[in-house]
Amino acid sequence: MPPSDGSMISRRSALLATAATAATTTTAWPSSAAAATALTGPLTGPVLRLDDYQVPSAHQNALPDPKTRHLLSRFSAAVTPARIADVKAAGGPDAWFRQQLSPGNIPDHAADDLWSWFPALDLTPLQRWRRHEAGAATGWEMMQDLASWVMLRRLTTNRQVHEMMVDFWSNLLHVASPSAEVWVWRVEYEQMIRGHALGRFDDLLQQAIRHPSLGLYLDNVESTAEGINENLGRELLECHTVGVEVGYTEKDVVNSARILTGFHVDIRNTWKASYVPADHWVGYVKVLGFSAPNADPDGRAVLTRYLSYLAHHPATAKRLCRRLAVRFVSDTPSANLVDSLARVYLNSDTHIVPVLRALVASKEFQAAAMRKVRTPVEDAVATWAAVRVDVKRPNGAQDAANQLIDIGKAIGQVVYDWPAPNGFPDVAAAWSGAGRMLGSMRAHWSAATGSWPIQGISFPTPLDWTPVLPTTFDKVVDYVVRRLLFVECTPVMLRAACVATGIRPKEMIHKTHALIEFKFPRLLVSLLDTPEHLTR
Amino acid sequence: MSNTSGHSGCPEYDRSLASRRSFLKGLGVIAAGGVVSTMQGTVFRQTAFAATGHANSILVVLSQRGGADGMSLVVPYGDPGYAAARPTIAIPPSQLLETDGMFGLHPSFAPLSPLWRSGEMAAVQAVGTPAPNRSHFSAMAEVEEAHPGSAERVGWLNRMVAMSEPACSHAAVQVGASVPETEIYGPQPTFAAIDIEKVQVHGPVNAMQERIAALDVTWGQVGGALGAGARLGVRTAANWKAVLQTSQKPRNNATYPATDLGDTLAESARLIRADVGAEVITVDHGSWDMHTNLGTLDSGGMRYMANELALSVAAFFTDLGALASRVTVVTISEFGRRVAENGSAGLDHGYGNAMFVLGAGVRGGTVYGRWPGLKPADLVDGDLRVTTDYRSVLWEIAKTRFPAVSLSKLFPNFSPEQVGVMRGA
Repeated sequence: MPPSDGSMISRRSALLATAATAATTTTAWPSSAAAATALTGPLTGPVLRLDDYQVPSAHQNALPDPKTRHLLSRFSAAVTPARIADVKAAGGPDAWFRQQLSPGNIPDHAADDLWSWFPALDLTPLQRWRRHEAGAATGWEMMQDLASWVMLRRLTTNRQVHEMMVDFWSNLLHVASPSAEVWVWRVEYEQMIRGHALGRFDDLLQQAIRHPSLGLYLDNVESTAEGINENLGRELLECHTVGVEVGYTEKDVVNSARILTGFHVDIRNTWKASYVPADHWVGYVKVLGFSAPNADPDGRAVLTRYLSYLAHHPATAKRLCRRLAVRFVSDTPSANLVDSLARVYLNSDTHIVPVLRALVASKEFQAAAMRKVRTPVEDAVATWAAVRVDVKRPNGAQDAANQLIDIGKAIGQVVYDWPAPNGFPDVAAAWSGAGRMLGSMRAHWSAATGSWPIQGISFPTPLDWTPVLPTTFDKVVDYVVRRLLFVECTPVMLRAACVATGIRPKEMIHKTHALIEFKFPRLLVSLLDTPEHLTR
Repeated sequence: MSNTSGHSGCPEYDRSLASRRSFLKGLGVIAAGGVVSTMQGTVFRQTAFAATGHANSILVVLSQRGGADGMSLVVPYGDPGYAAARPTIAIPPSQLLETDGMFGLHPSFAPLSPLWRSGEMAAVQAVGTPAPNRSHFSAMAEVEEAHPGSAERVGWLNRMVAMSEPACSHAAVQVGASVPETEIYGPQPTFAAIDIEKVQVHGPVNAMQERIAALDVTWGQVGGALGAGARLGVRTAANWKAVLQTSQKPRNNATYPATDLGDTLAESARLIRADVGAEVITVDHGSWDMHTNLGTLDSGGMRYMANELALSVAAFFTDLGALASRVTVVTISEFGRRVAENGSAGLDHGYGNAMFVLGAGVRGGTVYGRWPGLKPADLVDGDLRVTTDYRSVLWEIAKTRFPAVSLSKLFPNFSPEQVGVMRGA
């Protein structure tokens, strides 16, 4: 259980916050200055004007160039010094991105080791089931291991673009986890997606639709010639490929389901997946522009052609590329960008790498820095990356490696745990609720104080964060901002830091100053609770 | 969604935040919910607060997510087509409750029988959208926007709340760890939190004032949804004490089932008891998407879900006691299921469905609506035909319980048919 590390806001402070938001003017600074007067009144020291929050000149630690920062914040879980160094070593952002598109060539020992942290992952489906039946671990717990492993990989891996694409495909071809008995095969589904994350969508779709995990989730393993189950047949069209706008009919849905018949899983027994020709629906089928006599009881060849047809459908190209653009560019990508990416996709025989290259090369991508709101899971991972935690191999449920998913959950999201086949939403409107923001503030406070979790994790000390002391507070703030957020310190950040700590900009900070002794978390949290940290 | 000025768009509202009453006035929609987990099902609750600190009428919209099978809940046993189409899953007429020769309720609804008999619970059969839509996601959006043909994504409850006080925008709030549902979606900022108890700002116990002040420096001028969300979060937390101080303990010896829906309705009753002006509460209950193992009276998904629904709603009315005279509950689902069972003893996505209306103002004990029949020629692509637009049911509730609301604005370009489910409609 997370400790309660805060107190309810006092009525007085609520009134203060209200007073500040009540000021309405069209220009930002004067009204903010008025707000600051109201806010800093009860605090120690004289009230400062905005002009007093001039940020000192740049420190020695140079920031990444804007292009590098933007690329890393979109195509990695967080900007980190190691990743900035990787970009430099690769010869620049473009070269780094090229490297990332061949992940097999990138050493990744620390991330590889994470697999052994969660022994349930390495079991076969049947072994997992037996473990569940024996009461050694529930399916639920084993799927929490999967979610923990995925979050730690995002935090750790050097193959960041690959990891981001695993996330993208997992959301498109969503198999909720944990969910009923879907979990038995869910780790294998994850591994299958990893194998195709930077390949052809045609190949990925072929594997996903045949996979027992998706078959269990959307009931296809129950669908036979005798009794069609339409679930996967419909969602294949709506969620996985062409989309509902293309205008397929109910007959198309039934035929889609018919093509999919024949797959089974030996449920609650061996869990073996099989294909049973006798259960395949035989006869003429037509879905949109696809048709086949479908006379062979083994319908897998027809299925291959059907899925290939869908993967190459212009509506699929558009839908897929729009989702990619929403994921990596902005909530509202232009029709021009989507159309041009769709052309690349179709011309490259559904290969995703050329599409990613075109996306990153587009002007629209380059102009979209910090325009995406981080999801709760992204916030949880990026916060740990920002405060530079060292996570240890877990020994128990309370250890940090097992708690990261709960931090995401406290903000509002668990990896793969979305209750419907359409996957998590990916726009700011979905993830900017007031309660989500309160959840983020709580998670940031926990990370800034190192108060949750406390086992199996270590945090840097205040002196690890600061420049050579003594120096003035404004210089400390500037130094921390650059190392935490990889942007220049703004006057708003400096003023928030002063208000949060009650320290004036030119106050000298010695090693025994209250900032170092006990106020440092207040500074850190004021910098994590910022638009700069909550966007990517 | 976004509010680039950094304010609610209503200066009066911004200035009046210091008082709890007017704070709640500004909070358009609040929600709370159970643990989000696909294994145990998902429940969200959302609440809208009235323009005054006290709501005379309260509407609880219980969404059966996933497409519930209305024919398993309000069983048309008098139509021979029912049993014929469902060799495995048809419910024997002898087991049904409150039978009237044509319809009977699912046996798991026994806890609701007293409400049915006292005239506080009614059903409407063969309701739905004007045209079939068997996609979960677009059907949900259609039902919750209730504004066909409009490109604006504004939910009908968002419109209803907005009409309480036309000059001001209201904030949409949701507790339940997810994203705003379409029915409350609209121009207002939104709130989402894990549960009622977690609505607070965490920070240094002895320097909370500074923490809040610093948040205001950071977020006071930030535009867009993110800035609005941050400001609303801080303000909500500051004013949440009235809710937290209301006991969580149910009244009148009400016993809720230990499920997501039970927890959520218990928290809903708490919000109503707190009397802070909750006017609209939405609860999502699901999944009712039973492609497989819909089951029989001995096992399966329908028995489980119907039982959870009946126990939770019955406990909710017991808990409310005299307050129930102000509360109307309506159930709604994105679509019904096919008439005939599929190969997995389940039902695929269909069309016509049933709705329930309970509580204040209901003319209960009856199944309303015109039954279209189950003969092949009566069906639409194998599905139950819709003879009553679902908006006609909502229209009667809004008309009789929320007289200040403009019905033509609530459901634009819509002419309702007479249903008769509400007294005075």
